[in-house]
Amino acid sequence: MKKLNISRIAAVSSAALLAASPALAQDRTFTVSWWGFNGDALQEIIIEPFQEMCDCEVIFETGNNSDRLSRLQLRGGEGVDVIYLTDRFSQLGIELGLFQPIDRAQVPNIDELYDLAQAPQGEYGPAYSIGRVGIVYNADEVESPITSWDDLWREDLQGSISLPGITTTAGPMVVLRAGARAGVDAYEDPDAAFAEVAELQPNVLTNYNTGSEMINLFSTGEITVSMAQDFALGRLQAAVPSVVWADLEDGAIATLNTINIPTGSENVELAHQFLNFVLSEEIQHTLAVRGVDAPVNAGVDLTEEEAAPWTYGDEMISSLNRIDYVPLNANLDEWINRWNEIFGM
Amino acid sequence: MKTLAGWILSSPATLAVSLFLIIPVAATISVTFTAPGGTFAPYVDFFSSGFQRTVLWRTFEIAAITTVISLILGLLTAYVVSRSAPWMKSVLIVLAVFPLLTGVVVRSFAWLIILGRNGVLNNSLEWLGVIERPLSLLYTQTSVVLALIYIFIPLMILVLIGVLENIPDDLLQASASLGASPTRTFVQVVLPLATPGLIVGAVLVFTASFTSYATPHLLGGTRQMTMGTFLHQRAMTSFDWTSASTVAAIMVVVIVTTVLVMTRLAKRLNPMAS
Repeated sequence: MKKLNISRIAAVSSAALLAASPALAQDRTFTVSWWGFNGDALQEIIIEPFQEMCDCEVIFETGNNSDRLSRLQLRGGEGVDVIYLTDRFSQLGIELGLFQPIDRAQVPNIDELYDLAQAPQGEYGPAYSIGRVGIVYNADEVESPITSWDDLWREDLQGSISLPGITTTAGPMVVLRAGARAGVDAYEDPDAAFAEVAELQPNVLTNYNTGSEMINLFSTGEITVSMAQDFALGRLQAAVPSVVWADLEDGAIATLNTINIPTGSENVELAHQFLNFVLSEEIQHTLAVRGVDAPVNAGVDLTEEEAAPWTYGDEMISSLNRIDYVPLNANLDEWINRWNEIFGM
Repeated sequence: MKTLAGWILSSPATLAVSLFLIIPVAATISVTFTAPGGTFAPYVDFFSSGFQRTVLWRTFEIAAITTVISLILGLLTAYVVSRSAPWMKSVLIVLAVFPLLTGVVVRSFAWLIILGRNGVLNNSLEWLGVIERPLSLLYTQTSVVLALIYIFIPLMILVLIGVLENIPDDLLQASASLGASPTRTFVQVVLPLATPGLIVGAVLVFTASFTSYATPHLLGGTRQMTMGTFLHQRAMTSFDWTSASTVAAIMVVVIVTTVLVMTRLAKRLNPMAS
């Protein structure tokens, strides 16, 4: 009797285990932290094929750079397997010790990227997309075209500009451009740089913190000029068709969007596979053609029409100004205070 | 025995209040006393900055103006509603409560549409020939106060209707029969009896205005930074949690002090208010 019971229990247990094993594989979750823009396209292009590859369920954490990085910091680097951030915030994450080095042997597609995208922040995450920060303006409202960063200081633009807030990706670039206008390095001589920022103040109606806020300001007619990232241009022109991207003689500024693996990732191997997948020529091409992100895989070949919205190709990419975020982050606290004194008093 | 039963019965509520209110607030504030640089270093840093003092004063000013205007408008409205015929009273209460059916962001956004450069107000003034070019009305203290009044005045009205309805008509008739004018009756009879409601309404509106985030963010922008928007900047974009906790602690102190002062004031105006 006793033997029978044991064999029954063993048989039932084996059957249960066999039945449960596929479920266990699918129960594995892989968490991606990103902005949440273009959700449907990303679901179709990245998530569904990757779920088939990994036999896992992909779940998301969405929000802007600072919100998501802040949440990751509060959790001590746990709860997320890969995190998308702009380079200013990924540098901050590196300095906070929240990311682990990438094992490049597990991500061979990194070798196919443009040089500046392969290791923009040392041993940490590569860039998966590239963008520009420049000036956008309403050509119907601004009398003479904007052709230089110095035009932001023009008298005819009084009260009609919105700048990105100092705590956003593009905000500190205002200070760097102000330093350039004053003929100084903003890190070395912040007094001179902020004196120029103060001169800019009468032209600034308000600062914005998200791309949507900036688009609203244009569409309600509050502003006619703004400093912006190129990813917002499509939506901006859909709202206000007369808005154009200024062709700046002193060059736009590069922004790299990176993917990092947090220190607390529970699926490190899978995270490397995800990076390799996202950086593949095929996925990068599809993302560009579908209007989601600019490619950084040098093998991606786009038609002129497909490339039009993007920071694309050797010539354009090499013309961009680069930012070193290490000294920028080191000075940022002081810059935030100085910025607040000018714009918040 | 009775005391023991009281303690046992109240223990779930005490536990809930401790878990969800006292412990989180205490944990937030305790960070500020263990920061490097000394026990009160974050507070010294806060008050040594002219900008931060301006933000604190501006927030207090906005909350105080909002509260005073809401008190005046709310009292008059509630008085009219409380003295209306029952069917009219129902209609007026629904109208007063109606704005509460939408979110704060939507109600704030409505003011962006009204006060914007191409907004309803500017367009109307231009059409009437009062102005030649649109006025810049957004991102000012006035725009923030206007929106906060609109958002929080239903709270004031609701609280005051309840209080004013409980004032017996006999008292008002007695006052009139003794020769008091309607104004004198309102000032000397209605107002003192409404003091408890006024205090509750004022505390609600002041607290909500002082701690509001969405409305100052949307209508004040960076030019009218308040404690709520400043706290968000320190916590979510600068990752400076000590500084954010300091801002939060100062907000708690200001609110608690204001409530105590108002309660004391109420006791002096009307001993029944206690």
